[in-house]
Amino acid sequence: MSAIIPGVLLALAAVFLVLHPILTGREASMEWDKEELTEAQHRRNVALLALRDVEYDFHAGKLDERDYRAMKQEISSEALDAIDEEEAEWHARGVEGVELAVPGASEGLEAEIAALRASIREGIVCPQCGHPNPRGSRFCGDCGSALPARTGATESVAGGS
Amino acid sequence: MGRDRRFFAGLVGVAAVVTYLIYTGVSDTMVYYLTPSELLARAAASPETMEQGVKVSGMLVPGSHVHSTEELLHTFAVEDPNDASVLLNVEFRHPLPDTFDDSGELEVEVVMQGRYLAGGVFQATEVLTKCGSRYEAMPEPPQPANAEAGDGGMIG
Amino acid sequence: MIPALGEVALWIALPISIWGCVLAFLGGRWSRGDLVLSGERSTFAVTALLSIAALGVVVAFMGDQFQYWYVYNYSSTNLHPYYKFSGLWAGQRGSLLFWGLNLSLFSSLALWMNRSRNRDLMPYVNGVLLAFLAFFISISLFVTPPFEQLGFTPTDGRGLNPQLQNYWMTIHPPTMYLGFTSFTVPFAFAMSALMVGRLDARWIQATRKWILTSWFFLSLAVIFGMRWAYEELGWGGYWFWDPVENASLLPWLVATAFLHSVMIQESTGMLKVWNMGLVVLTFLMTIFATFLTRSGLIESVHSFAQNLTIAWIFLGCLGVTGGVALVLIIWRLPLLSSDRQFESMLSRESAFLLNNLVLLGVAFAVTWGTLFPLITEGLTGSKVSVGPPFFNQVNIPIGLILLALMGIGPVIAWRRASPRNLRRNFLFPCAVFLGILTILFSVGVRHFYALLTFSLGAFVLTVIVVEFWKGTRARARIEEENSFTAFVHLIRRNRRRWGGYIVHVGVVIMFMGFAGTAYDREVRQSMVPGETLTIQSPFGYEYALTYQGLSTTLVPSMRQAIALFTVQKDGVDIGSITTERQLVLAVNPPQPISQVGVRSTLVEDLYLILATVDDAVLLGSNDPQFQRATFQVLVNPLVPWIWYGGLILATGALIGLWPGAGAPTRSARMGSRGGASTGTGAPGVGPNGEASSTDLSTSVSATVG
Repeated sequence: MSAIIPGVLLALAAVFLVLHPILTGREASMEWDKEELTEAQHRRNVALLALRDVEYDFHAGKLDERDYRAMKQEISSEALDAIDEEEAEWHARGVEGVELAVPGASEGLEAEIAALRASIREGIVCPQCGHPNPRGSRFCGDCGSALPARTGATESVAGGS
Repeated sequence: MGRDRRFFAGLVGVAAVVTYLIYTGVSDTMVYYLTPSELLARAAASPETMEQGVKVSGMLVPGSHVHSTEELLHTFAVEDPNDASVLLNVEFRHPLPDTFDDSGELEVEVVMQGRYLAGGVFQATEVLTKCGSRYEAMPEPPQPANAEAGDGGMIG
Repeated sequence: MIPALGEVALWIALPISIWGCVLAFLGGRWSRGDLVLSGERSTFAVTALLSIAALGVVVAFMGDQFQYWYVYNYSSTNLHPYYKFSGLWAGQRGSLLFWGLNLSLFSSLALWMNRSRNRDLMPYVNGVLLAFLAFFISISLFVTPPFEQLGFTPTDGRGLNPQLQNYWMTIHPPTMYLGFTSFTVPFAFAMSALMVGRLDARWIQATRKWILTSWFFLSLAVIFGMRWAYEELGWGGYWFWDPVENASLLPWLVATAFLHSVMIQESTGMLKVWNMGLVVLTFLMTIFATFLTRSGLIESVHSFAQNLTIAWIFLGCLGVTGGVALVLIIWRLPLLSSDRQFESMLSRESAFLLNNLVLLGVAFAVTWGTLFPLITEGLTGSKVSVGPPFFNQVNIPIGLILLALMGIGPVIAWRRASPRNLRRNFLFPCAVFLGILTILFSVGVRHFYALLTFSLGAFVLTVIVVEFWKGTRARARIEEENSFTAFVHLIRRNRRRWGGYIVHVGVVIMFMGFAGTAYDREVRQSMVPGETLTIQSPFGYEYALTYQGLSTTLVPSMRQAIALFTVQKDGVDIGSITTERQLVLAVNPPQPISQVGVRSTLVEDLYLILATVDDAVLLGSNDPQFQRATFQVLVNPLVPWIWYGGLILATGALIGLWPGAGAPTRSARMGSRGGASTGTGAPGVGPNGEASSTDLSTSVSATVG
């Protein structure tokens, strides 16, 4: 018996809480949060993570050099595709001229992407088979022949001659 | 698609191994699960099958439990749940489960695994007890002060 | 008043949950944010209401309110307060409410964690969760009401089964329920991904940490259960392949498979249908587990009394859930096509897939063995059963394959591995394998499976240690850190991988602990005070236990007969050990219960059981003529390794679960990507601390030239 009044109050509170949005028109967000990853961004992250795995596997001796270069090339292309798609998404949303470079930052994905894109875009075309290779590669990822060394490369190409 | 075929080949391979293990496992280790009457009937019909392990369940006969401190040996009797005249004498040489209670207050079902020996004794290697109605019951309502309320039996 | 309020709260929760479920789905379908919000509020409201209901049960127990049927049957005035509190989950009725409570808490958590993410999925996730909440609330109201009253108030309750009056009662069941109920969330995400048609890798992202959390709780629960059985049942065993034990193992096996195969989907986009199936199967297994336990259809020492209504209800739930999931998967099959194919049989993907198949094979075998009596009875009329010999015979070889895979997986590369490098990397671990095998064989270890377990275990441990060593060394070189810092940072940068390796280390040690059973020793003896019993340990020690005497004491609600022994190991005194038989007077009729004495060293347990004692002793006599008793002494080699291994496993899982190192800074929207992921609950692939640029660009530059 003594629970009737608190019980009724409880019921009213619950009903009010639940009906409130409908009565006031308050809405839960159903939109993409702008800070949430889109699918393209997600795929880019996955590709970058896969790249890191490949680096690690190579360092740990699980991959030989040819497979390593080839896989690096593959995954880099995937990353680039995802980045391109992402840029297209941004354009579609009307954000113009998105700059990739972030001044000076050595951490953060932006610098990473910049380096990656640069290294792929400004890479070396193999003189033997015409396959484009990331900058700094010494051997063609496709046919395996030696690539001419780049002059003026700013990355630490150790012992480059 | 050649790769997918290899995937399926792997799947089939593993499935084959597992199936083989299960099949031999069952045929090697399966035991019949019998009541005392069924056990005695089988024993009478084909004594040699009794060398195999078997699982028997029955109701513990209250007061039949004998144990001593001279040796680790428990003996008790188990009756067929459907026919109380059918009794099985059991020997068990390990500590009994704590719920083993032959006081008769509760009905105790005993599930045992072991062998039925030629002498008519069931030598158990494993004993489990189940007390079905022990921990869930309706209590008896308090009797009213005047003796008129003859509402019949106690509820167990 | 509170219990009555709790009952009212339970009644209110039902319409609210149904309302919320309907509105969540409608809101999602019609894109009406207000309906969706109403649905979310319903979940929070249900959580609050179920909390009040649970509180009501607890208060009824603590207040000895025996007019409630449930309190009457599971408590008594002299029951220790811990066990009055745990009465909430001690029996069928309370535990179903407890399930609902846990589910509601996890549902609220899932909603809150995703308040700014996955917004297209959340209405459906919420709907699915509320559907199950409504289901459990309905059962609690109409089938197993915890607040059912007797109509009068008995003066005392029937008390709690003495075997449950053990501190594990407050730990093991709740952990198990946490494990089971938390699997509902990933399932809800999977269903909503199907309904919405958004089947890229992100729904996997949202669920992976949930599945890992559930897996963590379930692993803990199973280990706690083993420890409880070992301490309390008094037979020196920790696992009996009992149907309810098996039931809790099944979701664990499938979840383990999912945890691995999800990594394949994340990196390669393959196996989408497979993963979807695994998530559904894991959840179905939890329902199946609760069906087995609560229906009492298969005989078990754990199960509740047989209840056909409950059996049908859960079987129905299983069928409906499975059917709906199947329909949804088939409907969305076109969207679930793989992004690529397997490139090579020699790859980590293949190893993981083999792992999956093997784990599912074990799950199938365990299911088969557990249901066997039902199946044969249905088909042939005669009841046949299989027990531990079956499960051991089938699962041990498969377990050894799994063990070997744990050593192969880390060494094989993703996508395709070079055979030449494999040979080189496996050389040392294989040498260790053969070395350990030879050494053990030569010192007398001849048991085939035990030999293999130890040798394969050494193989796996070698692989993992080498991985850690190589990784630390590489990182120390690249980042120019000292070894210790490199080691810590290495783990922090990729918690999933290194946490996973630590989990594997734990599993290996546990397997070795299991293998010790092959060398158990046992002695049974009747003794009077002054006599000594000797038992050999397989490690070569000799234990001499000298019986000092039997003393009886009477404490409130219990009579104890305590046998005291002094122990010598190879002639050296190492202390004493006691074992007891207790007569618990708090229940009617009084129940005897044994308390074993266990003495653990690093490598083995000395386990002492007081088997039979004169009844006079239990009635209080200290007369010398009743001092004779029979004892069973066991030496259980390597059992402590099970608990150590479990601890390591839990640590590894926690490392894998830990949120990323430092929340990433949200870059300004203008001129950048907004690239950093939110970090909370979006595990693994976030750039925060994971694929950091320092790592990548410096390692890129380091390999160049």
